[in-house]
Amino acid sequence: MKNWIMRLFGRTPPGGMSCHQVGEVLQQYLDDELDDAERRARIHEHLEECRRCGMEAETYERIKATIAAERPDLPNDSIDRLREFGERLARGDEPSEP
Amino acid sequence: MRDEAAGEKAFEQYVLPEIEVLLRVANSLTRNHAEAEDLVQDTLLRAYRGIDGFDGRHPRAWLLTILRNTHINRNRRRRPELLRDPDFENDRQASLASDERTDAMVDDEIDSEILSALQALDEPFRRVVELVDVDGLSYAEAAEVLDVPVGTVMSRLHRARSRIRDRLDRAGFAPRRTS
Repeated sequence: MKNWIMRLFGRTPPGGMSCHQVGEVLQQYLDDELDDAERRARIHEHLEECRRCGMEAETYERIKATIAAERPDLPNDSIDRLREFGERLARGDEPSEP
Repeated sequence: MRDEAAGEKAFEQYVLPEIEVLLRVANSLTRNHAEAEDLVQDTLLRAYRGIDGFDGRHPRAWLLTILRNTHINRNRRRRPELLRDPDFENDRQASLASDERTDAMVDDEIDSEILSALQALDEPFRRVVELVDVDGLSYAEAAEVLDVPVGTVMSRLHRARSRIRDRLDRAGFAPRRTS
């Protein structure tokens, strides 16, 4: 039900937030960038109860997950060489200028 | 007088644990494993030389700033003509389309659509999505790498994902927006 109709009948939207308000912070919510635990809980409640926003969030979660799954494996030999280089520096063994 | 032992301890404490993150971000910036490794090596050296001036707060952000500046300086020094050459950018886009990451795309239509949409994004938008979703950086860390305000990271991310979502929508995969 549209938020303004809910308000007209004295009902508050799910989580006490309108779809527009949720939409404005949805990306931050999905990226775990919201510090306010109470706000996160209210968004969660809204997404659970509002079908349209819930589906929207699922779509963005799918986009994030698909892109995250593309994370390439780092070459182990590169990591090993860089660790060795870093450990040498940590021992004060600075290479001379090329 | 410089306390070398303290500097070396700080380097070990703050810098060494971040090597993998630095290499991951360097890969995103250079799209070339060998270049990424060289970039991180230069970054480590600069961090080592600058460790005395580091206050111990937000080591990852500090290192990402060094990485970004080192990347810019290396590009200026090594290939200034490429930075201004639009053909180079086109070639890079073309090579990206045929690289391992694209080859490894799953057959699933939705995933294919999402990844195609990601590749179709303009560079500033695609880069911020990759830094956050692929490299796992926070908004603040991505802002350090890109040298832009956090708000710019947020707005680019929002627009980028909206474009991907709209493409899914057009392909019939996303729920339709209703007013």
